[in-house]
Amino acid sequence: MVKYYPLIPVLAIYLVMFLIGFYIEGMWQMVALLAFYCALGQSWNIFMGMTGYVDFGYVTFIALGTYGMALGISYTHQYEWLGIGIIFIGLILALFLASLSALLESFIALRLRGAYFAIACIGINEGLKHFIEGARIWGGSDGIIFYGALIQAFGRETSNHLTAFWADFAVFIIAALAAILNIYYMRSKIGYALTAVREDEDAAKVMGINTTKYKTIAFLTSGLLGAAVGAFAWGVKLAHVYPGDVFVIHYTIECIVVVLLGGAGTLLGPVVGGLVYGLSKYWLAVVLPGFQLLVFAPIIIIIIVVFPEGIIGFVKQKTKSTPLARYII
Amino acid sequence: MKKCYLTTGIIFLVLFGFLLTTNALAVDKVVIGHPACLSGKYAKAGEQAIGGIKACIDWVNNVYGGVLIDGKRIPVKYKYYDSESKKEGVTSLIERLITVDKVNVVFSSYSSGLTLAGAPVAERYNMLYMDHGGASDRIFQQGFQYIVQTIGPGSKYHVGTLNMFNHFDPKARRVALAYEDSEFARMTMRGAEEHATKLGYKIVFKRTYPKGVTDLTPLLSDLKANKPDIVIGGGHYEDGQLFARQMSDLDINVKGLSLVASATLPAYYKALGGRTAEGVMGPSHWEYGVTYSAEGAKKVGLDWIGPDQDEFVSRFKKALGKDMIPDYHAAEAGAQVLAYVKAAENINSLAPDKVRAALGKLKFMSFYGGWDVDDTGMQIGHSMVDMQWQNGKRFIVWPLEAATGKLVYPKPKF
Repeated sequence: MVKYYPLIPVLAIYLVMFLIGFYIEGMWQMVALLAFYCALGQSWNIFMGMTGYVDFGYVTFIALGTYGMALGISYTHQYEWLGIGIIFIGLILALFLASLSALLESFIALRLRGAYFAIACIGINEGLKHFIEGARIWGGSDGIIFYGALIQAFGRETSNHLTAFWADFAVFIIAALAAILNIYYMRSKIGYALTAVREDEDAAKVMGINTTKYKTIAFLTSGLLGAAVGAFAWGVKLAHVYPGDVFVIHYTIECIVVVLLGGAGTLLGPVVGGLVYGLSKYWLAVVLPGFQLLVFAPIIIIIIVVFPEGIIGFVKQKTKSTPLARYII
Repeated sequence: MKKCYLTTGIIFLVLFGFLLTTNALAVDKVVIGHPACLSGKYAKAGEQAIGGIKACIDWVNNVYGGVLIDGKRIPVKYKYYDSESKKEGVTSLIERLITVDKVNVVFSSYSSGLTLAGAPVAERYNMLYMDHGGASDRIFQQGFQYIVQTIGPGSKYHVGTLNMFNHFDPKARRVALAYEDSEFARMTMRGAEEHATKLGYKIVFKRTYPKGVTDLTPLLSDLKANKPDIVIGGGHYEDGQLFARQMSDLDINVKGLSLVASATLPAYYKALGGRTAEGVMGPSHWEYGVTYSAEGAKKVGLDWIGPDQDEFVSRFKKALGKDMIPDYHAAEAGAQVLAYVKAAENINSLAPDKVRAALGKLKFMSFYGGWDVDDTGMQIGHSMVDMQWQNGKRFIVWPLEAATGKLVYPKPKF
């Protein structure tokens, strides 16, 4: 049980965030924004943090998750007897699409390394976007708008609660689940194998580790969590999807920034990174509208220079021989 | 003694209640909230919108005297943040504007996607949500209760253009449609096709081309073979240039050529090296030079509110501190301020649901043109203007009541 102690601060942070959002008026959407970044960081960290592979096409999973939810709701909302089940159908579709994509990417991209891997992932993301637009599947460039479908299925009041509360609540659950999976992998054979891959993949292979298998497990887990985030944070919450708005590499870059800020390969890092990133962006947008990016960029650079291992990497060093060490990984 | 306590308690409660009621009623300002796009991909449109809103608020406060509620003139304040043109920014900032800043109305960000992103949050708080940047008709088919549109819907962009060609040359009946494959352009194409059919035009060619296209010659060669009289289409600035240039290369001379979201931009003529852009037209929500006026409004039986065009332009420049001519993004955002003021005054209330209902009944004219919405909140009263390049200058040629020049028809050969 002791090996799961590091989960305590992570779950405590999520609980505090939730309570702040729930009880203080006007804070819910802000904490939802923070939960979104934390969940994305934690999900992305499972693959990148443990293997060192930088997946620039990660946003593909989030986008496919959004499409899965959009398709699920828009095709099943007329069946009244399904009730809230249409959200679960959407989630299953989201996970199914993400699994297909992850397996395809595993087949193509995971055979590559370094810059080649990164470029292949970007290529898959762009290719998929253009395929949806060009082949006019899933509404093509017109996208899918399904707020009306939600109203038809659940009524106005429930739809408003779904989009403005429950979708965000689901993101909290996914963030917590991502943290649990993160530590489970870290503390199991999978984590050791992935660490070996990160340190020296060729040596790991020579030692008899099936690197492709473990990379695929991490990649699939990370992708499925990303798809679940997309299904709720972009799908249920916004009730529409346009290909040009979701297959955007910028969101992968945000994942990278969140994880590097907090500390790649750590459990608490993506949470701290998500909080620092989300809060800075939010407050600077409020205090210095229009100039926030000018201020934000140097802040990021300073943090990365001062804490090359991320904020949690630094804290880990400082608390190495203290009782706190067991809570921070 | 007990009676004394009871009486004191009742007096205290009455006084306290009176104070609360007085505070609740004592409205000393009207606040417009806006998750603006100051950075990100819509930054240019966002800057224009802020300038337009500030210009009209300046006019309302300093010329008009404020919003007249309960016989008292109340000043309008403007609270905006930067959403970075991102959906996450829009949702979190709208909630802040509603709950922390206690705004009376929220103006949408920009684009159909960002407008849709903010709509559920506005609905959740029963907040009036005014859309000056989301042109998609489908926003208004979702059942949102608090959304009202100022920008004209995408399906109406080429309606005026077709009316104009029909008016000037009823014999030219062959129309070709060639639009970019984007949500906005496809919606424009659907609206154009529907209206052309209604007017009795024959659609001889209809096709889309992908975003970021670099060669339109195969499409244009097919288009040429169908011998259209009128070509309408486009999507963005870059493909609008390519369209005209390659029509010129292929020597496709038609009587009328109208391209959305490109030909109206001031840089278009120069980018095409002059001659190629001669006679090319484009629809716009508003152009500097339109002749909407209080007298014109009176003639068509509409109320007038707001500055005239020149005053709007000078207040816009003052608001941004730049010698910049406002474009339609500024005009529609500014007109939205005027619509809100007029509706609040008509209903003598700032309650979002009441103002929403009043906006549904409101019809008026301003420097931006007409304003009227249908039951869903979609704009139906604003007509687009059509401009044409003539000797390097832009002239508004339709509708005739807003025209600053005469249509050159047929279009000069490339």
